[in-house]
Amino acid sequence: MLWIAIRMLTGDRQKFFGLVFGIAFSTLLITQQLTLFVNFLGRGTTAVYNISSNDIWVMDPVSRTPDTALAMPSTALERVRSVDGVEWAAPHLREGATVRTPDGDLERVTIIGVDDTSLVGLPDAIIAGDRNALAMPDSVIIDSVGTARLFGEEVDPIGTRLELNDRRAVIRGIVDAEPTFTSQVILYTRYSNALTYVPGARNRLTFILVRATDGTDPQALVDRIESETGLRARTREQFARDGVDYLIENTGIPLNFGITVTLGFIIGITIVGLTFSLFIRDNIKQFGALKAIGVRNHMIRKMVRAQAAVVGLIGYGFGVFGATLFIKLFEDDPTFKGFYTPWQIPLLSLFAVFVILAITGYFSLRPVLRVDPAEVFR
Amino acid sequence: MARLSFSRQILPLIAVAGLIAAIVFIVTGTPDRAVTDPPETPFRAGGEIAGKPRVAGAGVVEPSSETIAIGTSLSGVVEAVMISPGARVSKGQPLFRVDTRSARARIREGDAAIASARAAIAEARNAEATAARQLALYRSVEDAAAVSRAEVIRAEGDASSARARRQVAEAELANARARRASAATELERSTVRAPIAGEILGVDVRPGETVTAGPGAGGPYVLMGETNPLHVRIDIDEDEVGRVAIGEAAVVSPRGEADTRVDARFVRAEPLVVPKRSLTNQASERVDVRVMQLIFALPDEAAGDFRVGQQVDAFIPAKVDR
Repeated sequence: MLWIAIRMLTGDRQKFFGLVFGIAFSTLLITQQLTLFVNFLGRGTTAVYNISSNDIWVMDPVSRTPDTALAMPSTALERVRSVDGVEWAAPHLREGATVRTPDGDLERVTIIGVDDTSLVGLPDAIIAGDRNALAMPDSVIIDSVGTARLFGEEVDPIGTRLELNDRRAVIRGIVDAEPTFTSQVILYTRYSNALTYVPGARNRLTFILVRATDGTDPQALVDRIESETGLRARTREQFARDGVDYLIENTGIPLNFGITVTLGFIIGITIVGLTFSLFIRDNIKQFGALKAIGVRNHMIRKMVRAQAAVVGLIGYGFGVFGATLFIKLFEDDPTFKGFYTPWQIPLLSLFAVFVILAITGYFSLRPVLRVDPAEVFR
Repeated sequence: MARLSFSRQILPLIAVAGLIAAIVFIVTGTPDRAVTDPPETPFRAGGEIAGKPRVAGAGVVEPSSETIAIGTSLSGVVEAVMISPGARVSKGQPLFRVDTRSARARIREGDAAIASARAAIAEARNAEATAARQLALYRSVEDAAAVSRAEVIRAEGDASSARARRQVAEAELANARARRASAATELERSTVRAPIAGEILGVDVRPGETVTAGPGAGGPYVLMGETNPLHVRIDIDEDEVGRVAIGEAAVVSPRGEADTRVDARFVRAEPLVVPKRSLTNQASERVDVRVMQLIFALPDEAAGDFRVGQQVDAFIPAKVDR
C-alpha cells in the first residue's frame, strides 16, 4: 500500500521535483545560514580556542573579551601562581598595534606576547618555520590569514622585515590560527619582545593563562583565584562564551542571520506547502477511490506520511549535502577559514523540515480525510 | 522492478549518499578543542611545595655581599688593569692603577727636599757649633778689658741666630718628609684595591682610559662581589606580604629551566618595601607596585645552575594559619 503511495508521489515528476527542490532549498538555506551564523559568532571564541594548553584565563576585573581587556601590573602573575591548585601560570599579552610593511603601508595588527621560555600561548600548528625561532631577537610569527592579507597568497613572507613601534620585527614562521572577528593580522612574539612592540602604557600584562593541577576542578579554581587575588578569572569555555556574547550584543549578526533563517523557513513552507497541498488535492480522487475500496483514514495518513518522508529524506539529503559541501569547498578561503558545520545544525534543519512537512501535510490532508468515497463515482 | 526508476530508486540513493557525505564532512570538519599539554611547561610548583599554600615571587641572583661597584679615589689615565672578569681576588689585592708618574715625581721631589733639608741642617749645625765655640771663648776670657762688651753681644747674637737657622732647617726637613709621605699616599691611592675577598663580575676599564673620581663621575669600573654563596633577591607583591612564612626555605628555578629546582635558605627580609623595578629593557623604568624583597642563599651544589644577574622564579611557603 505504501509503495502505491510512493508511485503516486513520483507519478507526476514535475510536482515531485518541485517538492524535493523546495525541501532541498529550504534545508540548504536554513543549514547554510545557521552554519555561517554560528561560525561568525564563533569568531569571538577563536582567540581562546587557538590556545589549547590552558584551561583558565585570568584578567583585570573590568576586562570582558580577548580584545576588550585592561592590562594588569606585572606582579599579578606571581599572585596567581601563589594560588593553590595552579599547575602553572604564563603571561599573555594581547594588544593592538600598527605595523609598517616593507611597501610602506600601514596595517593594524594584534600583537600577542607568549611566555618567554615555554612559548605557551602560541597555537600548536606551525605551517612554516620553527616555533623555537621565536627565541631569536626581534622575531615574530604571523598567522596564515594575516600573511594572505599582508602579502597576498603567493608570497613567502619568511624573512620579511616589518617595523613595529620603530622597532625591527622579522617574520620567522607562519602559524595556523583561526582569525578573529575583525580578522586582523596576528603577530606572535615573546612576551619581553611584545613589551617593546606595543606602544607604552604602564601596565602591559593583559592576560594570565593558567593550567589547573590534575584533579582540580577548573570552576573551583576560578572561584579561588577570584577570591584570593581579586582578579577576574574565567574558564576557557566561559571566556569563549564571553566573546560570543560580546558579538551578539555589539553587532548586527544575530538579527541579519535571524532574518535569513526565517526567510528560508517561510520560503520552505510556501514552496513545499503549496506544492504538497496541490499534489494531494490533485490526487484527492485517487484517495477517494482508495477509501471506496475500504482503505481507512488511518492508512491514508500513513500513506501521506510515507510520501512526506520520501520527499523529506531526498530533499533534506541534498540540502545538507549542499550546505556542508559549501563549507568544505571554501575552507581554504581566508573569510571562511576554520568554518565547520556543528552537528546540531543539520538536526535543527531536520526538525525544520519535519515541521514544514507536518504543517503542510496536516492542512492538505484535511479535505482528503473528509472526502466522501461516493464522491469518486459522481 | 526490472528497470531502475530514477525518481524512486536512484534519487533516494543519491540523497542518502549525499547525507553520508555530509556526515563525513561534519565529523571530519569539527575542530578539536580539547586541552592539550604544551611542549614545554612554564615555571610550576613541583615537589613538596606543590600541594601546600605558597607565595610566588620573581627575582634576581646576586652575590652574597651584593654587587660592589668599585670606583677610584683618583682621576686620571689608567696605567694597568691587574684583574680579568671571573677572577677570584683576596682582600686588598690590586685591581687597577691610575697613572702614577706625577706621584712618583713628587716623591723624588720630596726625597730631594729631604736631602737638601738635611744638608741645611748639617750646615746650620756647623755654624751653630762655631758660634757656640766663639761665644764660649769670649766668655772664658776673664779680663774684662781684653774683650769688648760689644764683641760678646755680637757673639751671643751669632750663636742664637745659628740655633734658629738649625731649627728652621729641621722644620724644613719635617716639612719635606711630610710632603714625601703625602706623595707616597697619593701613589698608594692610585692603586685601586679589592675591598673584600670575592669574584670579579665585570671589568669596564682598560689601560689608557680615563677614570674620574667623585660622585656622579663615570663608572662603575669594576664590579665585584662574594659569589660563595650566591643569594637571590625575591620580589613579593605587597598584597601577598602578609601571607609569606618568613624564615622558610624557598624553591627557586632559573628562568627558562622550570625543571631545575633548588631549595634556598632564608637569609633576611629587607626592612624597606620598595617600588618594583620591571626588567623589561624599556628606556623608561616603570614603577607600578611595591614589593617586599626577601633574600635567600642558594646551596653550594646549585652554584653551577645560577649566574649573577639571572632572573629566577621562586615559591615560598605561605603561613598555614588563617
